[in-house]
Amino acid sequence: MKNIKYLIFLVALGFSSCQKSNLDLFPYNQIETSQAFNTQADVTLAINGMYAGLKTSGSYFVGGVWNIIADVLADNLIPNKTGPGRGSLLTYSEWRYTGQNTYGLFTGGYSIIRRANAILENIDNFEDGAFKDNAKGEALALRAMVYFDMSRVYGKTYENASASDLVLPYITSTDPSIEPSKIPVKDFYDLVIADLESAKTLIGTTNGIYRLNEPAVAALLSRVYLYKGDWAKCIAASNEALGTSPSIPNIATFPKIWIDDAGANASVFFKVRNTKLDNVNSQGVNYYQTVGGQKKSEFVATYDFAQLYTSDDIRTSTYIQQGTFNGQVYNNVIKYDGRPGDPAGVVDAKVIRTAEVLLNRAEAYYRSTDATSALADLVLLKSNRYAGYVPEMLSGTALLDEIYNQRRLELAFEGDRFWDLKRRNLPVVRDATDGDLANGGGIPFVFTSLPVGDYRFELPYPQEEVNFNANLTQNPGY
Amino acid sequence: MRKFLLTLSSLFLLLMSGFAQKKMITGTVTDDKGLPVANATVQLKGTSTGTITATNGTYSLPVSVDKGTLVFSGINLEPKEESIADRSVIDVSLVVTANSLTEVVILGYQTVKKKEVTGSVSSVAGKEIAQKPIGNFTQLLQGKATGVQVTGQSGRPGANGYIRVRGTGSINASSEPLIILDGIPITSVAYSLLNPNDVEDISVLKDAASQAIYGSRAANGVIIISSRKGRGKPTLRYSFQYGKTNALDLQNIKLMNSQEKLQYEYEGNITNPILDTMISNRVANGTFPGGSNLFNISPSQRSDLWNLTASRAPKTWSNILLPEGRVRTHEVALSGSDDKFTYYFSLNSSKTDGVSYGSYWNKTGGRLNVEYKALDWFKLGTDLGVTHSKENNVRSLYNTQAAYTSLFIINPYEPVYLSDGTTYNVTHAGYSPLEGTDHNPSVLDRVSTFTTMYAEANFFKHLAFKTQIGINFNTLSQENYLQPGSNLAKILGYNQKTDAGNRDFVFVISNTATWKQTFAEKHSITILAGQEYTKDKFYSYSLAARGFPTASVNTQDNAGSAQTATTSRSDWALLSYFANVTYDYNKKYYLNVTGRRDGSSRFGANKRFANFWAVGGAWDIINENFFKSKILSTLKLKASIGTAGNVPLGLYDNLGTYALTTKYSDLPAAVPARLPNADLTWETNKNYDVGLDFGFFDDRLSGAADYYNRKTNNLIYPRNVSYTTGFTSFTSNIGNLENKGFEFSLNGDIIRGRDLTVNLFASYSHNDNKFLKLYSNNTPQTLSYFTEGQPSYTYFLNRWAGINPSNGKELYYTADGNLTETYSSSDAVLLKGKSPNVKWFGSFGTSISYKGLDLSAQFYYSGGNYIMNYIYQVGASEGENINDAQLTDAFNYWKKPGDIVRYANLNDLAQRKTFDTDKYLEKGDYITLRDVTIGYTTPKSIASKIKMKSLRFYVQGTNLWIGTKFHGLPEVGESNGETGLITPGLFNLFAQPQLRAVTFGVDVRF
Repeated sequence: MKNIKYLIFLVALGFSSCQKSNLDLFPYNQIETSQAFNTQADVTLAINGMYAGLKTSGSYFVGGVWNIIADVLADNLIPNKTGPGRGSLLTYSEWRYTGQNTYGLFTGGYSIIRRANAILENIDNFEDGAFKDNAKGEALALRAMVYFDMSRVYGKTYENASASDLVLPYITSTDPSIEPSKIPVKDFYDLVIADLESAKTLIGTTNGIYRLNEPAVAALLSRVYLYKGDWAKCIAASNEALGTSPSIPNIATFPKIWIDDAGANASVFFKVRNTKLDNVNSQGVNYYQTVGGQKKSEFVATYDFAQLYTSDDIRTSTYIQQGTFNGQVYNNVIKYDGRPGDPAGVVDAKVIRTAEVLLNRAEAYYRSTDATSALADLVLLKSNRYAGYVPEMLSGTALLDEIYNQRRLELAFEGDRFWDLKRRNLPVVRDATDGDLANGGGIPFVFTSLPVGDYRFELPYPQEEVNFNANLTQNPGY
Repeated sequence: MRKFLLTLSSLFLLLMSGFAQKKMITGTVTDDKGLPVANATVQLKGTSTGTITATNGTYSLPVSVDKGTLVFSGINLEPKEESIADRSVIDVSLVVTANSLTEVVILGYQTVKKKEVTGSVSSVAGKEIAQKPIGNFTQLLQGKATGVQVTGQSGRPGANGYIRVRGTGSINASSEPLIILDGIPITSVAYSLLNPNDVEDISVLKDAASQAIYGSRAANGVIIISSRKGRGKPTLRYSFQYGKTNALDLQNIKLMNSQEKLQYEYEGNITNPILDTMISNRVANGTFPGGSNLFNISPSQRSDLWNLTASRAPKTWSNILLPEGRVRTHEVALSGSDDKFTYYFSLNSSKTDGVSYGSYWNKTGGRLNVEYKALDWFKLGTDLGVTHSKENNVRSLYNTQAAYTSLFIINPYEPVYLSDGTTYNVTHAGYSPLEGTDHNPSVLDRVSTFTTMYAEANFFKHLAFKTQIGINFNTLSQENYLQPGSNLAKILGYNQKTDAGNRDFVFVISNTATWKQTFAEKHSITILAGQEYTKDKFYSYSLAARGFPTASVNTQDNAGSAQTATTSRSDWALLSYFANVTYDYNKKYYLNVTGRRDGSSRFGANKRFANFWAVGGAWDIINENFFKSKILSTLKLKASIGTAGNVPLGLYDNLGTYALTTKYSDLPAAVPARLPNADLTWETNKNYDVGLDFGFFDDRLSGAADYYNRKTNNLIYPRNVSYTTGFTSFTSNIGNLENKGFEFSLNGDIIRGRDLTVNLFASYSHNDNKFLKLYSNNTPQTLSYFTEGQPSYTYFLNRWAGINPSNGKELYYTADGNLTETYSSSDAVLLKGKSPNVKWFGSFGTSISYKGLDLSAQFYYSGGNYIMNYIYQVGASEGENINDAQLTDAFNYWKKPGDIVRYANLNDLAQRKTFDTDKYLEKGDYITLRDVTIGYTTPKSIASKIKMKSLRFYVQGTNLWIGTKFHGLPEVGESNGETGLITPGLFNLFAQPQLRAVTFGVDVRF
């Protein structure tokens, strides 16, 4: 009978585990997609998530290559081979990219676009009003902004494209089953413009510098219309962005832009924030790392380009600094040194500035035969850059050339040069004799010229996408 | 123990005093196969007079009586009594008992006699994996069982092996088998902390009949480990081991030495900074004329510069970056049993210094296994193990922060130190891995406990209940310190300490009931029914802070400012019911039927439960009356069919989610994390297996042959989506995969003498893997492709066509097979049949013993796989990496028209570039002398004089020889420690090199 006692004990033990176990387990740090847009607070979280996408490593802004790639692909930067650097982005400098190289610019872009699309798909469930309009405006604008940058990477520009030239699919849904096709470049521009125009009427003005606002959207439109060659609309959008008295930072303010001093905020329409806690130093590391107290550059300003920066130009000391590494002197790019007190290279990504819009407008004025206004804008910029500047009287090609020259000097190392050459249908012509050292010595470029119309002006789509999605054909030549 | 010592000492006393009327009885104890039995007890019944047999089974016992009975007993042997009856020589043969190691197999939730197994199970005895100075016990399983393919992850101390049972059936990262220790499933991190010497026996369940009882967890096989239990008289064992390890030498390639590298640079028109400075200095002091450079000075001047440069560098960087490693272990174990109590107690400690600069792995642990038979029908017990380990997790990645990578980056002529002799030279790479390892330690501290508690009752004659609770609790704390003043801290502009860690709590409770009965002496039936619940709770944290004042303080409270503090949590659960019926008729016909129902938290509500089943049968032909053979001693035919399953690696993969862990502008943000897949369902295996066990001449020659086929349906794997969706993939069921193959093993006892035994063994396993069906056929992977009819990860690469002899440029084939000098990623093609899957492997060897000497040697071979050899690509590089260390192979470049060479014209700068092509895709076939052991066991007479039961010394060599055509090291597991694993062996990228080791050991038993 003693057995019974043990039997009861064992059975009790057994039953204690037989209780209907709960197999309904959910993640602790995630929410189900269906529950992600219940309240306005949720929408705000999703908007923050959309902007956070801009920081993604390997893609565009803070964690990406946007602040260097347009210069590496063109004639502003030469790889440091005497040093030598780690060789990152050498593939781009040598125009030897293949379907294996541009992964981040493609996936990074579409990842942000999805975040915008999710907001747009859900926002109509909210009641009409300022919140809804602003959210919709931000999502449309950010999506268009990213699409436009992607189109500069992967497609021809509007003016150079024929009706049959294709560029990226313009995805506006979150459907995961799509295998979309490319669309004509011209249609793509129309969609970007439609989104931005629509966003401009919806978006608010108090989102702060780290998010898009109405003037920033107008500024983006100024850029897109410039690439489209729609001069009148470029001027109109620029006017809207700049207002009646453009806030062009003066010589004292200009350097503050690059250390994220709030005093220079008026000169920037939109920048992607990179906080001390985010601690993303990619923009700085893209250019150099400090080894033994010396800057070891990946890329340095080309000898001939560095000569264009004169000593009376505030940009010279703000952008370029000669420095010694291993006994050799280089033209190091110091635009992304970082904020005082924060780790090296941790700095916000300036997406669009007043100076660019001013240069857009100057070019558009010139092209629409208003040389007087064009000159006025040029003088406005230069008087805020050159110490003791005396307004010049330029006209004709000389005026246009100087606008282009100032564009190159102003927007160097900021995501402009290669796309601009492409827009203007110009080749990349590099100095074949001068090397990577500040005195022109050292190792020169091996690859010195990319002729007009070369297939390598359009970067290759990720080969994995092409292999998977038969509807998306690879760019010619790859 | 005391009694035992008393017995011993009285024995010595007896021996010493040497009574005159003593009669000496001698003889030999053998087992039923005629093999000598060492350490068998011979005792005069009813007295304390007794002795123990020597290694060769002999004994001699002085007795003072002519009549009486001797009792012979030994571990796993049926005791036997022999009447002395005036004899002075008594030889006995003892029958091996039913529950002995060789005859019993531990299957799911029960133990079965080997003869009655209907499935395909490999058993590995604990001594076969006894401590070796490489990896952990998973690596030691290599070559020990057919159908079980093991690839060492890397040469990191304590590294796991990748285990594939009968091919890669699942292609996500959970293609590892389920590992169960004393009834509890343990994690792969935890099994690296098991002490191999505590392992009594390992069973690998390979086919459906034996796996099905584990249902959803068995798709990739089950490895059941049982820890040691005490048996017989108290035995105290002490083991000591000391060994030295070295990185294996690169096969078929070697790095340039200083002179060679300087010559290569000269040929490539490169002046390195060291020579540049030397020349400038000589120009400045007038030794060289102005305008001198490397190319216009005289050959003898150049040669002098080169010699001077080389003289300032270390003789070889490999001795500095990959110093000789050391292994030291101590272990004490006490075990024994009596009628009611069984115990095994062990303590061990080991210190391992890895071969990668600064790496170490130290471990201490203990185990206590006890069982108490409280009543005739009731017993309870616990198996408890705990291990603490501490390791310096040195960097393992493709840059100069990793020591092994640095060997391929730092030039042989670069000095280790600056001219002050103490400051590390950062070299041209801008970083010193030595300084980094010294000043940026990453210390992992782990504690793992393995606990099994059980109670078992036989209420009725045939019915037994068992309740068991198992806990595997693992904690990790990791401290990464970017010390103030370190080179990296200077580069980054801050110092930082990160304290991260986690705890993983696995809890299993199972209840089983077993009914065993034999009817009419011919019909034996066993019914097992049970229920089990498993829950895993995982918690992790990470804290980082900056601004530490000095390297000597490293706790977070010393920091200037906090950086981040995060915690995270996840859990999963599994609820199961199972039953198994085995029946045999007269030990001739066996039938085994299993069913299991599993519910997993990893699936959506409508896919949560799945059923698994298996049927197995065996026919023991040798027991048939009609079958009489003098030659054949074993003949058994087995067959089984059934299913097993697998769950996704992700815990919540059916849910589409937004993650809330991202921030923007220091504000919380929601980011799409995962695409939903409510239809995600169980991966199921359908297996069948046919096998034959055979033995000839009293099993002197024995073996087994098996054929199997495993079809994995609804493979769980990330399914690609168009990148335009903002995602790259979601977890899905992507198709069906087949693994089929055969296994063959032979074992021959050539000589079974009293003094001499010679055994030869060999095994061969073959596996073919291919996709039968893919729901979406376009599934590109890294360097490879999934395509129907081809193995998983079939390479998808551009094809190299050699160097154009006329101009020295690289040639490639276009997708259409035409020649081109332009590399284009769209010219990549599927390289049919070439995949990283190992197709065949096995081992062969011998074990010989002569008196006290024993020798064993085991070769292991493996092949049929291909490996993308990135180390070769980086090291030869076509001049792309001319600034870094290079292989001598790189000299084989094009110099003049007509040259048929491997590398392009070094001085065509546009050719200084490598692309991924099949130029570096190589066969991974190799053979290695995996293990050689020479041991000596001192004769009993000597051992007993120093009051020992036995004393053994041995020397052991691991990987002493490799044969391969591969350029580099052919055993490739992970690519490196910090590149995510895609599939083992897909490509190499500077994982810590595999090791060669020589070890000395002592084993003493009291």
